Amino acid sequence: MNGPELSTQDYDVVIAGSGAAGMRAAIAAHDAGARVVVLAKGPPRANHTRMSGGRYNAVSGLNPNDSTDAFYKDTLESGTWINNHALTRILADEAMDRAYDLEAYGLTWDRSEITKYSLSMTGGGSFVRTLGSADEGIGITEVMLHQLHVRGIEIKAFHMLVDAVQDADGRVTGALVFDLARGSWRFLTCRALVLATGGTSQLYETSSGPTVNTGDGIGIAMRTGAEVVDIEFMQFIPISFVYPPSIKGYTLTEPAHYGPRHYDPKADAAHLLNNKGERFVLKHDPVRREGSTRDVLARAIMLEILEGRGTPEGGVLMVPDPKVFESFLRERPIYVKRLLENYGEAQARLEAPIQVMPSALYTLGGVRIDNWCRTSVPGLYAGGEVAGGVHGANRLGGSSMPDIQVFGRRAGMAAAEDARQAPGATKAAFERARERAAALDGYLGRSDGVRPIEVKKQVQKLMWDDVGLVRSGPKLVEAIRIFRQLRSEVLPRLKVTSRTRVVNREWMEALELENMLDVGQAMATAALERKETRGAHYRTDFPEIDPNWAINLLVWREGSEMRVERRDVQTLDTPDKTNARVLAEAR
Amino acid sequence: MNAMLKTITVKAEVSRFNPETDEKAHFETFEVTGIENMRVLDVIRSIYEHQAPDLAYQFACRIGRCGTCAVKVNGVPVLACQETCKPEMRIEPLTPFPVLRDLVIDRTEVEERYANLALVPHRDHEHEGQPEAVAPDLAHEICRLDSCLACMVCVSACPAVEERAFDGPAFMLKLRQLAIHPADNMDRLSQAKEGGLVECFGCDLCTQLCPADLSPAQAIRDFRNDLLFGR
Repeated sequence: MNGPELSTQDYDVVIAGSGAAGMRAAIAAHDAGARVVVLAKGPPRANHTRMSGGRYNAVSGLNPNDSTDAFYKDTLESGTWINNHALTRILADEAMDRAYDLEAYGLTWDRSEITKYSLSMTGGGSFVRTLGSADEGIGITEVMLHQLHVRGIEIKAFHMLVDAVQDADGRVTGALVFDLARGSWRFLTCRALVLATGGTSQLYETSSGPTVNTGDGIGIAMRTGAEVVDIEFMQFIPISFVYPPSIKGYTLTEPAHYGPRHYDPKADAAHLLNNKGERFVLKHDPVRREGSTRDVLARAIMLEILEGRGTPEGGVLMVPDPKVFESFLRERPIYVKRLLENYGEAQARLEAPIQVMPSALYTLGGVRIDNWCRTSVPGLYAGGEVAGGVHGANRLGGSSMPDIQVFGRRAGMAAAEDARQAPGATKAAFERARERAAALDGYLGRSDGVRPIEVKKQVQKLMWDDVGLVRSGPKLVEAIRIFRQLRSEVLPRLKVTSRTRVVNREWMEALELENMLDVGQAMATAALERKETRGAHYRTDFPEIDPNWAINLLVWREGSEMRVERRDVQTLDTPDKTNARVLAEAR
Repeated sequence: MNAMLKTITVKAEVSRFNPETDEKAHFETFEVTGIENMRVLDVIRSIYEHQAPDLAYQFACRIGRCGTCAVKVNGVPVLACQETCKPEMRIEPLTPFPVLRDLVIDRTEVEERYANLALVPHRDHEHEGQPEAVAPDLAHEICRLDSCLACMVCVSACPAVEERAFDGPAFMLKLRQLAIHPADNMDRLSQAKEGGLVECFGCDLCTQLCPADLSPAQAIRDFRNDLLFGR
């Protein structure tokens, strides 16, 4: 058949994503003897971990009142007990060992004494337990990248995973990859494919994440028939920049907001005021007030803005405590600089009110995994933000960093183990990959149609308005209708203006859009199904939490339709049956 | 948005180069209107969105952390996301690196150079799974050096890199980070010497331009001090 050339290479484990989850998976798989490659959609440093404040929840033993049981319980409490309890338990138990791994890699956690880490509070936690390092997510990604380098692990920059390719029995045996730098197609045969592509923040108009987080891994997993879980829960960070446009949505670190509460759970966090000078958070959480969880604060701020009590620029005012300036400057100099450049000196010194607004931060749901990051499709693994279940309906501040280390490692170990026995790709898989590449190559020839960037912006606005912080049945129904229409009518009409194959951004955006539309529709579908308010999911037509909804929603694709199913929460007593449905169908 | 924010119209000459069709780069001129303190990245994105759908450019974080949007503006290497726009700008890809297309450079060789330096602590003993003995101030200093974005702004600006056998300030800074790490036993000074430590002119341009407010020049001075007087 005709079509673009498809070059092949063989690996044991292909890992898509160059953030901490992907790098940790690569280290683990490599150290277990597997031949590994890491795919980065852009340069390897273009990832979400890089942007994180790097704050890391773990039970170090330095706070005698804290325990892994308490961390486990805090995480369940924050997730409203619909987390996958087994995954949460693993997070609580293994976080500290992975923090020591990072130190072994070369990271130096902030210390108060030579062998004593500095601990602080974080959003939603009940104990002083959070580690940090002044180099933040930059430091974490740097020390890990150099660990990959000394191991000689191959990293393919500008390589976008487009599809997980399955054999006739449904097992993933290859990766269809687009080399954006050259505009060429690759079929990487493998025995296990790890998705570590991060979240979906780019589906929203205002977001804090990197431009690469377009939900690729979730869309790719869904096209293989894999299940996603908790996908209705999107975490918004309450405290982010409002202006200028270039940095709108970028997270303002919690220490500024927390003030003295950063070190003392009984102290007050910075007050939040609307344009009438009212402490509006008191209406929503009179007990924890501004020290409440991220979901409550983000929603409270958004409602003030939507109901016309925000600032002219579209935010609310945070009144920081200037007394914490010195420690803030020492610990988080980067943020002082950002405040200075964008807001002014008084704000940077925490002496004047700071405008803040919520922003799409972290995808709580994602690909459904078991304790070893196996998805419901054989040969396909997922770890980090792309996966769901660890955090439930809401996430503690400081818990994404241990999540991506703990489950990145588990994904890599399990994939390497699987790769020992798994069969390689067949001729049929290669043909399937070639057909798909030929179809996607067609974007380049089309002369009229819609530019991907226009559709992308439409999706971002739709998600922000209708599938964002404030949701309702009619809006979600409308969003689903629009997603169906975009998929059936607009996606086939996408055009790529330039015929060049080299670094063609529009072509990349066209490939991303397919994922964005699938993921957006899945999010809206689950959000419509969950008729209550819980954690990050707020329905104006069902504004209360409903104990009958203490369950999870699974979503998967059947053809172009989204199927949704209720499932009891997996507790520590539930047998692990992630593969059950797909294996039964395969038989 | 804020009615107080003033707007500006800037003229941007953007370097265009497609290896499939062009022998050498040429400039294309665009006008972009936006708020007065918009960043160079805002200008580039606006050109892509409204005027040149085929423009190749790179960014990811837009907040000065990923270090991947570095370009030259009026001859000076900067991060596009951090640099405030100028009324008249000439925007070019970062030199002296190979250009993939338009403003996007190929960093493969840069990464190989990092890899060759083995920038991880080489330990006498495995990490023991408890807090390593590092003085708080030293830990902080290691973190500071570890905040290097690897954006290559300093390497691009360095006159010694252009004229002499010098790897560049960023590599010296990373070597310094390992040199002061108490668990690392590799001879980082020798590596720095091999990388051209003595070739540095001491002009301090790297420090003045560093988007992360680091001082590669100080790292070089510290190494030179070690070279003369020992550690």
